[in-house]
Amino acid sequence: MSTVLTVDRVSKSFRTQAERVNSLKELITKRRRNADVEEFFALRDVSFKVSEGEAFGVIGHNGSGKSTLLKCMAGILQPTSGSVAVQKRMSALLELGAGFHPELTGRDNVFLNAAILGMTRREIAERFDEIVDFSGLAEFIDEPVKTYSSGMYVRLAFAVAINVDPELLIIDEILAVGDVTFQQRCMQKFVEFREQGRTIVLVTHDMGSVRNFCDRAIWLEHGEIAGSGDPADLVDTYTEKMLTDAEVDRSMESTRRGSGEIRVDEVELHVDGEPTTHVRTGDTVDVRLHFSADASIENPVFAITIGRLGGAIVTFPSSRDVGEVPATVSGSGTVDIRLDNIALVPGPHVLHTEVTGFGRQHVFDHIQNAVSFDVLAGDVRETAGIMTMRPTWSIAGAGVSGRSPLV
Amino acid sequence: MSLRTAVAHRNLLYLLSQKELRTRYRKSILGWAWSLLNPISQVVIYSFVFLTVFNATPPVGDPSGLEIFPLYFLSGLLPFQFFSISVTTAIGAVDANASLIKKVPFPHEHLVYSVVIAQGVTFAIELAILTVALLIFGSMVLPWLPLMIPLMALMALFTTGVALALAATNVFFNDINYLWGIVAQVLFFATPIIYEPGVISNPTLQAITNWGPTGSFIRASHNILYDNRFPSAERWLHLIVVSVAVFALGTWIFGKLSPRFAEEL
Repeated sequence: MSTVLTVDRVSKSFRTQAERVNSLKELITKRRRNADVEEFFALRDVSFKVSEGEAFGVIGHNGSGKSTLLKCMAGILQPTSGSVAVQKRMSALLELGAGFHPELTGRDNVFLNAAILGMTRREIAERFDEIVDFSGLAEFIDEPVKTYSSGMYVRLAFAVAINVDPELLIIDEILAVGDVTFQQRCMQKFVEFREQGRTIVLVTHDMGSVRNFCDRAIWLEHGEIAGSGDPADLVDTYTEKMLTDAEVDRSMESTRRGSGEIRVDEVELHVDGEPTTHVRTGDTVDVRLHFSADASIENPVFAITIGRLGGAIVTFPSSRDVGEVPATVSGSGTVDIRLDNIALVPGPHVLHTEVTGFGRQHVFDHIQNAVSFDVLAGDVRETAGIMTMRPTWSIAGAGVSGRSPLV
Repeated sequence: MSLRTAVAHRNLLYLLSQKELRTRYRKSILGWAWSLLNPISQVVIYSFVFLTVFNATPPVGDPSGLEIFPLYFLSGLLPFQFFSISVTTAIGAVDANASLIKKVPFPHEHLVYSVVIAQGVTFAIELAILTVALLIFGSMVLPWLPLMIPLMALMALFTTGVALALAATNVFFNDINYLWGIVAQVLFFATPIIYEPGVISNPTLQAITNWGPTGSFIRASHNILYDNRFPSAERWLHLIVVSVAVFALGTWIFGKLSPRFAEEL
């Protein structure tokens, strides 16, 4: 297959803002003090090729250089060294509606925007109806776009951008805008594009879309390619790496409340007998609570809460639910909770602990954020939602046949 | 090179110019009337200063025999404003389209071209009105009018060259914007618009006003519109050399600097 896009040893450096000269006076007085100029490399020696018909992903967190790479590919920025070669008609969707003029009508803006994206007048005229149809804004098309809602604005802009009919489409994280229906429509359009054998480069930090959509991906870190290959593997490695890196600021502060007669002193997570703060979907996880009581406590109930960091509570089991309530407790001891085949999906999680009276009203001890831990991809490839139901799928019907080559 | 891209993207050029014209007087009650009110107010002001305050005699058109200051003034002011307003607007146009430059790859020089084209359209309309006025006051300007086409074309080249150079450097040094405000003011008075070069006794100054870059254009315009005669061959030669040189220089500067716009804006 022929190569459509070649990025060859591309580096891009920026001078830091403070070092730029912004007036003639500065230019004259600060002239050529090269020693002071600090260069920041946003991209360093990045090379890859994209073949015709491929869906290629570029992943990286904020500041990894992926936006710079995108702009270099689109021809907006010039690489400091190296080269970018594009063999086909390219369209880069960096921002929808850049160049829309609020005072002009939707119709005028469609023509202007399409021309900016490189279409000839005849092409625009031919596609105009299609564009308006896709946007669903036929009745507003002769109104100035300043009267549009932001949703309408984006819809019209996307309709124009997608109808430029490129052979190579470079997409920024624009899927993050608009409502769910609109996002689905965009995705649908991209899938259509790919099925027509066109080439797509998707630059994003959205793991889900890279995993589902791309044939191949690179992972960018500090301006360099840190990994490349199969998107699913790459996304797993990347997610893991990202969570490990974030460890430092993950030690969320625990807060404690309660009357204190009995307290949880320590919480441990074990997988295969080893203490850890990383678990995989499908692991068997042992949670151990070490407690100590100053006095003799009657009918204490132990409970844990597991939730997404800063988000939904996934589960809130207590020892009373299963009838494991001792008559009295004094001194110190441990509580072991085994969680079989854990159904959490990847992401940061927290665990809270609680010791209460039998009626669950009196709180002896509650620790918010007793432990933070990360769930990594395991036996299930789900990434959305808060847990997996381990579904089994089968699709039947007279007209159902074969297996898609895309999976 | 840039002329070739201009042809390839002529649709963009057309639409950008159209946008420039359509959005110019939005949100104003008088709309396009402003493009006439502005020169009219200048005519009133300078006619008052020239005729009443200084009690000067208007230049005499040779061979047209015209002796009407407002017409002399407009024959110089309109082309001068085509130049100066184009440059001012072009400097702002690159800044105003920063978001576009940072997000969409397209030939940036079109932002400048479209400004000059839109201003050229305005100039053509103003010229049509001036022609009517000239005819009413007894100058048979019509046979001479076609000469305005090559003159305007050369002015457009010259204007585009200056606009390209200043718009590009202004991205890096905002001083250009302010500096241009002063330079435009100086040029207005250094150009024979409210006076005739002949009234200046110092021969050096007279030559500057007569052959200075803008002065030369304005003299040619006076020849055609007010005097009704063919500008001299050396005048044409001078204009061609200056226009082509300035356009080439501006194009070169813009071409050098525009790849870095996206990171500097």
